[in-house]
Amino acid sequence: MPHSFVMGCPKSGSRNRGPLLSVVDDDQSVRESLPDLIRELGFAARVFSSAEDFLSSGSIDETSCLILDIAMPGMSGPELQQELKSRGQKIPIIFITGQKDEAIRALMHKQGAAGLLFKPFSDADLLTAIKTALRPLEVPPG
Amino acid sequence: MAGPLLSLAVTVTSEQHVEFVLRKIVDGLASQPGVALVRIWLLPSVHIPTAWQEGAHYQNEIEHLRLVASAGNPIRSPGEDWSFLQGRFSRFPLNIGKVGQVAADRHPIFIKDFAPQDTWVVRPEWAEREEIRSFAGHPLIFQEELLGVIGLFSRRALDEQEFTWLGLFANHAAVAIANARAFEEVAERQKGEAEVRELASGLEAKIRRLVEANVVGIVMFSLEGAITGANDAFLQMVQYSREDLATGRVVWMDLTPAEWRARDERAITELQTTGVFRPFEKEYFRKDGSRVPVLLGGALFEESGNECVAFSIDLSEQKQAERALRRSEAFLAEGQRLGQTGSYSWRVATGEITWSEQLYRIYEFEIGVPLTLDLIRTRVHPEDLTLYEKMVEQARNGENDFEWHYRLLMADHSVKYLHAVARATRDQNGQLEYIAAIQDVTARRVSEEARDKARSELAHVAKVMSLGTLAASIAHEINQPLSGIVTNAGTCQRMLAAAPPNVDGALETARRTIRDANRASEVITRLRALFSRKETATESLDLNEATREVIALSLSGLQRNQVVVQAELAEHLPLVMGDRVQLQQVILNLLRNAADAMSTIDDRPRELLVRTERAEGNQVRLSVKDAGIGFTPEAADKIFEAFYTTKTDGMGIGLSISRSIIETHQGRLWATQNDGPGSTFSFAIPCALERVADAETRVNRTDTSTGAV
Repeated sequence: MPHSFVMGCPKSGSRNRGPLLSVVDDDQSVRESLPDLIRELGFAARVFSSAEDFLSSGSIDETSCLILDIAMPGMSGPELQQELKSRGQKIPIIFITGQKDEAIRALMHKQGAAGLLFKPFSDADLLTAIKTALRPLEVPPG
Repeated sequence: MAGPLLSLAVTVTSEQHVEFVLRKIVDGLASQPGVALVRIWLLPSVHIPTAWQEGAHYQNEIEHLRLVASAGNPIRSPGEDWSFLQGRFSRFPLNIGKVGQVAADRHPIFIKDFAPQDTWVVRPEWAEREEIRSFAGHPLIFQEELLGVIGLFSRRALDEQEFTWLGLFANHAAVAIANARAFEEVAERQKGEAEVRELASGLEAKIRRLVEANVVGIVMFSLEGAITGANDAFLQMVQYSREDLATGRVVWMDLTPAEWRARDERAITELQTTGVFRPFEKEYFRKDGSRVPVLLGGALFEESGNECVAFSIDLSEQKQAERALRRSEAFLAEGQRLGQTGSYSWRVATGEITWSEQLYRIYEFEIGVPLTLDLIRTRVHPEDLTLYEKMVEQARNGENDFEWHYRLLMADHSVKYLHAVARATRDQNGQLEYIAAIQDVTARRVSEEARDKARSELAHVAKVMSLGTLAASIAHEINQPLSGIVTNAGTCQRMLAAAPPNVDGALETARRTIRDANRASEVITRLRALFSRKETATESLDLNEATREVIALSLSGLQRNQVVVQAELAEHLPLVMGDRVQLQQVILNLLRNAADAMSTIDDRPRELLVRTERAEGNQVRLSVKDAGIGFTPEAADKIFEAFYTTKTDGMGIGLSISRSIIETHQGRLWATQNDGPGSTFSFAIPCALERVADAETRVNRTDTSTGAV
């Protein structure tokens, strides 16, 4: 099952796995557990503890999708989104957050997020979000 | 004999004193040739003041003439002094001899020539010896009253002319005696009068002294109203002059104000019926129209007379003192009313209780109702009755000063709080008496209780609010490990469902799951530890540890707001005495405020610095420094006030409660502006007295902390 989906706009991921998903979250347990799940889902995963780390990592170009924590010390998730936009990067972003506020969803959608997941989220929900994010771009660039 | 007798007569008439008159007469006659003896006797009732009669008291004798003057020339009785009055014939019976006969008959007797053997001769041997031959005797009569007898014994035959001369001298002597007697009577009367006058003038003088001493005003007036006299004191009282009185300008009625006239009438009536009017108070008009209060009393001079004398005492000073006393009483009463304080005195021995009006009001008894301990007990709150009895007992035993608090239960079941202070004194008889002041402190107590209640309610609300924020933090804190658990479990499933199953991977996810679950459990444990404390539990605690806990709990919340938390917690920070929950409340409040202050800051990092350190004066200081918008100098005073806030959704109670908590810890909470942007809120509280054992307690507690930030 993990291997049976079609992806659009493939970028080459490492280890001839699927597309590269970069995870940016300051929470250790997320950084520990999420990449394994992502790999089980058939993708490649890289993990960063802060937005700054990601920006200076050189992984931007390889990243097919960004799984981004909203609230972080230093540069927040939305701020990273802005930064990438200003760099002309159009990486789809799935925001994750512990704050269960539906209002955020609308906001994020407005900002051009590809998806939003409330922690804790199930593996199925994650998969759905990733699939949605990796679909060919339906959202106008913003 | 005419010549010498004439000159004697002239001499005698010029003599004024009666004894000299008589003496001159007898001496003068006895010096005539041939005269042997001349004597003057007086009736016993005739008293004249003579020097010779000092030894004789003849008041009760009525039968004898007494000898008052004598002169003679003894020829045959040498050594005899015939002027001696105290001899044998100093008292001559009235009915004896010719002398007696003269007195009895009131008629002169002239015996030209007699023989000693004649029967009437009283002392024939004397007459013979002294060759007495002739006797002339004349009564002394003045205004038909017989005063005495003059007798002349001669050695030659007396002639008619000599007899007539004798009569002349007898008259003269009588006149002299009568005059002397009259003078004496007058003198006596005068003496009597003088004595009476003396007496009278003594009393009079004394009374005059009183009048002139001007210690009281004295005034004399007639019942019609004319003022007939007054002393200076009275004049001064009414400020009239003596001239005013003299002219009769001033009438009694003029001096009296209209409202006192009726009282005056009553006094006049009393005066007329009893002769006196007893003292009463009234007022006079002074000459200038001002009034003077006086005490007036007086009496009529004569029983049914018209003239009255009265004393008048100026009562101005008394009245002033009375007014001052009334005023001070009014002040006291008003003061008691304002201060809700009543006073009482209690004479222990007699049980006599006296209350001020305000105390009646406090107890809600009718003013003036008789007071007993039993009556008072009916108002004392049942729960405080034992206390009250104890107080009464103390008082009976003569305890000195004491104060006590007790409650009253009123008729409408409302409660009053009273605060009483009592002092033991001795009254004028040396008896034990308590003077006490009792204040109704219900209002204060009620407001204190309300304040305490409000404060605890506010604290509760603050806690609840913090709790809301805390809950959010906690939810987030637990959410993290929970997400991990869900993710790892999901991964585990997929790994085991793979072909071939990734057992190692699954094991790893399982391990992580357990770890995350433990993490969540720890959060809950910490939570419990945080909120399991009782309301006010003071203990010695490590402020660093408490701070770390608060930071840990609120970290996620802070970070959500992009706040970077730095902690510089001093090593070996001394322990403080305090309530852990409350102090953590304060720290949480400060952190939240700092974060809020930076919520609009975009151009610089939202840095929050928490620092703990030793402070001077054996204190520990915690400060929270932010890089936010700071506060204006105007706001500086207000930020600690309750309900002051610049936040649109804030309640503004955090800082006022926080300050209150810190002050309860004998500390201080204050805010300063930073050199750079933002402000620093700090509090300092005293260190606890550290004991060695406490160090151990500290070690045990570090297990529950999540480590340094």
